[in-house]
Amino acid sequence: MQIPVARPQASWTPDRASRLKYLCLVPVVLYDSIFFLLPLVFLIWIGFWSVENYQAVPGFSIANYSDIFSQFFSRSRYAYAIAQSVWVSATTTLLGLLLCYPFALGLVFLVPARLQRFALVLAIAPFWTSYILRLYAWQTVINTNGLLNTVLLRLGWIDAPLQIIFTQMGTRIGLLHYLAPIMILILYLVLRNIDQTLLKASENLGANLWQSFWRVLVPLSRPGLVYCVVFGSIISLGDVLSGIVLGGGTGKSLLGSFPLFSTVILNEYAASTNLPRTSALATLLIGLMVIILVLGLQFAAIDD
Amino acid sequence: MSHASVTQTTAQATAQTIPAPSNSKTTTDLELCQIAKCYGQQQVLHDINLSVKPGEFVAIMGPSGCGKTTLLHIIAGLEGISTGAVRLRGQDITRLPVNQRNTPMVWQHFALFPHLTVRQNIAFGLTLGGYRQREIAPKVQAMAALMHLEELLDRRISQLSGGQKQRVAIARALITEPPILLLDEPMSALDPHLRVRMQGELKRLQQTLGIAFIYVTHHQNEAFSMADRIVVMNQGRIEQVGSPAEIYNQPATHFVAEFVGNNNLFDGKVTEANATTVTVQCPQGNIYAHSEQSHAPGDRVTAVVPADRLRLTPQPVPAQNIVQASLRGREFMGSQVLYLLETATGYEVRVMRQEAFSDSLALPINADLYLSWDTEDTMLLGERG
Repeated sequence: MQIPVARPQASWTPDRASRLKYLCLVPVVLYDSIFFLLPLVFLIWIGFWSVENYQAVPGFSIANYSDIFSQFFSRSRYAYAIAQSVWVSATTTLLGLLLCYPFALGLVFLVPARLQRFALVLAIAPFWTSYILRLYAWQTVINTNGLLNTVLLRLGWIDAPLQIIFTQMGTRIGLLHYLAPIMILILYLVLRNIDQTLLKASENLGANLWQSFWRVLVPLSRPGLVYCVVFGSIISLGDVLSGIVLGGGTGKSLLGSFPLFSTVILNEYAASTNLPRTSALATLLIGLMVIILVLGLQFAAIDD
Repeated sequence: MSHASVTQTTAQATAQTIPAPSNSKTTTDLELCQIAKCYGQQQVLHDINLSVKPGEFVAIMGPSGCGKTTLLHIIAGLEGISTGAVRLRGQDITRLPVNQRNTPMVWQHFALFPHLTVRQNIAFGLTLGGYRQREIAPKVQAMAALMHLEELLDRRISQLSGGQKQRVAIARALITEPPILLLDEPMSALDPHLRVRMQGELKRLQQTLGIAFIYVTHHQNEAFSMADRIVVMNQGRIEQVGSPAEIYNQPATHFVAEFVGNNNLFDGKVTEANATTVTVQCPQGNIYAHSEQSHAPGDRVTAVVPADRLRLTPQPVPAQNIVQASLRGREFMGSQVLYLLETATGYEVRVMRQEAFSDSLALPINADLYLSWDTEDTMLLGERG
């Protein structure tokens, strides 16, 4: 819709062809290189080192990886932990979408415009409190003799306390509390930018509410949904605190009582201080995240 | 919530008092009866009555904020009404939900679905109704042929030009074979050159299909070039309904006279009236007008003189009406020139002449000139409302 207009250039604006603009990128590039890219490269590199006499020795060997893959289904059973991680992160993301999408829809379509920002701030307020504090707060809620169980028992809705804490359900609750503000914010922004005339047009052409939702609203909010899946699954895969504080380390899920892969990595390092081997494990996790990210970006692109 | 229910009961109550349509099936496609619309305390539509005949091209014209788009939305069911009734081919649709009305609309900015192809956009209305794919495909193909879109069916919306988008929007609206097509300023997003071409195409399309088009616009040219009947609206009321010629030659109200065409309005008082000529005393001098209606001396009236009936001369010429004025500016409008003059009493007069290449161009600004016109070209309107 934008019509390019030849504007007289203000004297203080730099020339478009100026090399100066690259200078503005320098701080970002430096920051990212030093604090993100370099450690990442270092981590991947260390994954190929070996340990001799409890000392990490630089070099290039794939011994760590071959050892890890040999224990995929036996002894350390990494595959089970990876499966548990993928399962928990996938289900958490799905639950997050099921909770946050209707919430964001309500925010955009039901809340009056002047209250929306306020409601949004309330919704994302938990984000600004300490994550670990929130996890301990949840402990008191979902404990065997915690708030939730006490209330449900008093009401007579259950006969025995629900075992939520130290299961992967507990892990999911902690993760969801962390993810919800992010998901709500993403979905709110995407939904807010959808031209509501399109929904009227759909109704005008004969669509009922359900048809307008599935044929117009959901396809148009796809970028937001995909970003939520990407953020949700990557954060869930990488998080270790919820799995330990609320999931009890080896929480039970439909798959069984296995720890999350992130927990395994943390435990291995704590037990062995074998940095090269832990780095190799972490590289596997990062690889998994990169795959999700790349797939996500492909799906999010609205083809136009 | 409570407001909506109140509105509904009012609508219900009024529906009973409105007389049933007589033979409306054959004579009218769309009937708007005593429609009023309020937003809280503010009334945006007052007592709208309009019937549209089958196959009629009706343009609703008025300045922005006059309620013309609201009226279109009411016909489509996108907005409710406070009182009154809407009938489509004799059926009362006042409280029928939008999606059951089959009153599709061509939107101002087309509102095409960006996530669907041209083909899917056109088929949208059919895919909702449980048609089978093999029923839909030929209909879409036929519609694409009608709108010259065959080559574009697999394009995405973002790959289309403005004119193409508009054709898709029209095709999408017509696919369900509606009894009526609503158009909300569909030309406003097109460039002027394309606009003229689309006007011709749209008129031809309407004649081919033989269904009623209701076209909302604030552009006179569009309304006058396409419509069989024009509805002029202002401040939520209908000012005049009539053929383009009627609206142009016999404006019913001051608003229509000012809004339509290039009219000069002189307020004054009748001093003398006989069978053929009415003399009106104005600050600019006496103006002689021809009037079919009877006027008595002392009546407050407004003399309306179209800008293209005024002659402009450097010297006084023998004429029934003559007013002195000085030239303040001129504006080229194609082959015509619009002159702006100011009378001694500070009144601005507009003169439109077909003389883009004549000597009068050499007239200097602030030159003293004479305006003259005939009695027959002067219409009279009653006192301002």
